[in-house]
Amino acid sequence: MARAELSITRRQLLKSGLAAGAGGAVGAGALGGAPASAATAGDPWYRTGEIRTTYNVCDMCPWHCGIVVHTVDGEIRKIDGNPNDPKARGQLCPRGQGGISFMNDPDRLQAPMVRTGERGEGKFQEVSWDEALDLIAQGLNQIKERSGPESVAVFGHNAGDWWWADHFAQAWGTPNAAKPSSALCISASEEAAELTFGFPIGGYEPVDWDELQCVTLIGTHIGEDARNTKMQDLANLHGRGGTIITVDPRFSSAATKADHWLPIKPGTDTALLLAWMHVIIEEEAYNADFIEKWTTGFDRLVEHVADKTPEWAAEITDLPAEQIRETALEMAANAPQALIVPGRHVAWYGTDTQRMRAVYLINVLMGSYGCEGCLHFNTAPYIDDYSLPPYQVEGSAGGCAAEPDEDDDGPLGDLPEGPTGKARADGVQESFLQGPTALQELIEPMITGDPYPIEGLICYGTNLFHSVPMVERTKEAVQNLELFVAIDVLPMEHIAYADVVLPEATYLERHDDLYALAHKTPYIALREPAVSPMYDTRPGWWIAKALGERVGLEQYFPWDGIEDYLNTRLRSIGSDLDDLRARGGIIVQEGKPFFEDFDGESPFLTDSGKVELYSSVLEETGHDPLPEYEPPDEAPEGYFRLLYGRHPVHTFAKTQNTPALSKRYPENELWLNASQAADLGLSDGQRVMLENQDGVTDGPIKLKVTERIRPDSVYMVHGFGHRSDGLSRAGGQGASDNRLQSSYTLDPISGSAGLRNNFVRIASEA
Amino acid sequence: MRQAFLLDLAQCIGCEACTIACSVGNELPDEVTYIDISERVRGTFPDLVGGFDNHRCYHCGDAACVNVCPSGALYQEDGLTRLDWDACTGCEYCVSSCPYGVPVMNGGVATKCDGCREVTRSGGTPWCVETCPSDALQFGPRDEIAAEAHRRTEALRDKYPEVQVYGESQAGGLGVLVVSPEDPEVMGLPLAPRIPTEANLWQELVKPASFWVTSLAAIGAGVLGVIARRNHMAEMQHLHGGDHAAAATVHDHEQTATPTALADDQTTPPSTGDDDDEVSR
Repeated sequence: MARAELSITRRQLLKSGLAAGAGGAVGAGALGGAPASAATAGDPWYRTGEIRTTYNVCDMCPWHCGIVVHTVDGEIRKIDGNPNDPKARGQLCPRGQGGISFMNDPDRLQAPMVRTGERGEGKFQEVSWDEALDLIAQGLNQIKERSGPESVAVFGHNAGDWWWADHFAQAWGTPNAAKPSSALCISASEEAAELTFGFPIGGYEPVDWDELQCVTLIGTHIGEDARNTKMQDLANLHGRGGTIITVDPRFSSAATKADHWLPIKPGTDTALLLAWMHVIIEEEAYNADFIEKWTTGFDRLVEHVADKTPEWAAEITDLPAEQIRETALEMAANAPQALIVPGRHVAWYGTDTQRMRAVYLINVLMGSYGCEGCLHFNTAPYIDDYSLPPYQVEGSAGGCAAEPDEDDDGPLGDLPEGPTGKARADGVQESFLQGPTALQELIEPMITGDPYPIEGLICYGTNLFHSVPMVERTKEAVQNLELFVAIDVLPMEHIAYADVVLPEATYLERHDDLYALAHKTPYIALREPAVSPMYDTRPGWWIAKALGERVGLEQYFPWDGIEDYLNTRLRSIGSDLDDLRARGGIIVQEGKPFFEDFDGESPFLTDSGKVELYSSVLEETGHDPLPEYEPPDEAPEGYFRLLYGRHPVHTFAKTQNTPALSKRYPENELWLNASQAADLGLSDGQRVMLENQDGVTDGPIKLKVTERIRPDSVYMVHGFGHRSDGLSRAGGQGASDNRLQSSYTLDPISGSAGLRNNFVRIASEA
Repeated sequence: MRQAFLLDLAQCIGCEACTIACSVGNELPDEVTYIDISERVRGTFPDLVGGFDNHRCYHCGDAACVNVCPSGALYQEDGLTRLDWDACTGCEYCVSSCPYGVPVMNGGVATKCDGCREVTRSGGTPWCVETCPSDALQFGPRDEIAAEAHRRTEALRDKYPEVQVYGESQAGGLGVLVVSPEDPEVMGLPLAPRIPTEANLWQELVKPASFWVTSLAAIGAGVLGVIARRNHMAEMQHLHGGDHAAAATVHDHEQTATPTALADDQTTPPSTGDDDDEVSR
């Protein structure tokens, strides 16, 4: 009791600013003369009570590091990286450090709400969970009876999305489940790997950094993109004198550490990659043994790149031919401990699968696969799923992918169908070849009803107006919905359009399914709450179960509480929750990262069991079987190409309102080359309005006049320009790259949305 | 034992994990940060070099802030400059004396990095070091940190021909040894940190005279602290202008310092922006 009171005193002092300063005000006896009461009131948080430790998986970015959460007297005081976690290794990035602040954000959604005003007006009435869930169940059932369960789409993002975009969607029977992390992010990388190696590469790039000697980053801006492990890996490589090559229109944070910075003309990366292949082949710097043993189509590749000289690429890429040649040879000299990392967000120009194929092909030419310091093979952890009846539609995880049909002569299998015989509505196999459900392609059917209407949307953690291009189209689409349910932590802009809003507990306040990751050392990590949910919020798993039971899906939610679910899964590997806690929240298993682990069997899963340099699937389906360079759209006169990326203290459009992070970077800036600024008579720090090629305006945004970017492009950090009234810090700060992306270029292979064919000009000074 | 930080600016990628870990671990109010990270890039596109500044308290061996502090709120322990802000009277002398511009005022008292006093006293690692994902920070016995700094410097010489260790000799030897990938001056790290003249005067003259203030502050009562601060301000004004007899006492002790700074300045503290007001250390 006394401690609690003192703790409050301390907090009040902090709030009033009187106790400003470091962790220890006055330790007992520190200065001898300090009165005891002052000494105790000023004790640092870790001395105010017993520290309780819980294990969790960070959800401040999609990298999902294992964390240790320290709680004193029911209040979370500090989060550290879990030393047992293969990704955190005891350290944590700025977002992860700011997790407490995300949870304590006073702007959070606090209770279930039902819309009372017009869509977008933001007028709601608070209701009980029962009322909210009954209303949703009624709406879902009406759509199901009228149009079939396929007419409900489920979007999911962040760590709890399995409960919704995978589990609930499949149980309910809709193939229209999608995640922005696919078509708006990594689909092209995954499909390129599928075509080349026979399996997706994985969003957690399987790079064996420990022994790597030369890394090439194309657009990947580690340091600003603050994925904890990647920052550690790059730093370690740099610290041991390894070679860093960055290809980026911007002098990124990573470029400041690089031995070579190639300030490439945006959209021309494939030309550079083809020229690199040309040099490596011409100089016979490739790994002939590897190519002989593990690949098909080398001769055709040799022929294909014969005329792709550095001089040819120099014209296209605006890079010196000599630099192209030099960097190719530097990579090759370090091979096989040299590679181009696949990166994560690769939805750039609509030609992205081909570019990613070119990335993989260079790595393969260098023999940089399956050995130390190369790409390695990921292994899935061994653990059973919870035993459940068959789903209504299979394969919804990230989208109902086609299963190759044994009776089918073609390379494409039949698409899984929902209970009323409808396959996914995103146009796969018609407007693009394959891949997980393309979220942005489900928007149009909400408006046109083609190929069939999508009348309901459950939107879990997906920031609808800050991640999907063509924001105005998305707004029109949600206006058309019969039922729009939003489950979220914060009142993002799209919340104002929802019929029912369900406030979710943050990752620090809830359990989730086990985090079981395919990895070099596959592992299983625990997420359990450090504190009870604030306000009247509920965990995503709880909401899914409560809703499932209301719409006749109780057989898919048979567990007796989440601990029963987790223990059941853990028992399949001889563990349980107590054991997992005793092991520090993580169970690490052995993987099979290298060729030697496969006992002579091929690890590649293509039909040939080899790396397909020349893709037979692409040939059969009328696509280029070898990567070709296709020029991107050119900027109209007077416009700059709009590039976007990350700031280390922010994630997506999710953290701009988080007090501890907002104070470090409260608004984004528009990077403009200094010579261009001088020509336009603009100066650093000035605020401007932007207008894009379609007349869409956004801003004001502060100018950052800099030498660090090419003159033909501008750059801003993604995720700003929030317009939600409910976000007291982020609202009105900076500009939204997403709103200025009023068009996108569909990648005809993976269905990903190329976002970088948008252009802006400085419309006015603000 | 003298402790120290290693700050490897060749490694720092400017991610701010240290800044936020520090703010959270030390429960800093929103308006205060102890670490300020900013880019430092030079050249013209596309010929650029640079990296990040990681500006923080350097824990000077001969610390101007400690020397001028009349209340004992700033003091040295294990080679680190600690701050007991309950004892701070808010006189702001540390703010104007620091050659690196580190201490700031918040809520009427000075604040700055105190080397995570309670954490490091019990053998722990400061929050910033604990989390740093880019291996730019370490903490330990100063001789070991110095050895590590030199080891890193040698390893980086191919990449950064001008790389050197900064802080071994500056201001009595810093408690933050910096691996500077370029000439430290270019990195914003002065080879000869300049301390405002006023600070020296305060150290030599005023501090002994205000011993009573220190005693009062040690009682730890806020009200008395405020009174003490008022008395300080009055005393400084007195010294700097109003009373010739008192000023003469100052001159008796410090005839050769910079008498004009005392004579010309009508308010406290005198400007520190002009080189003329600074002495090299």
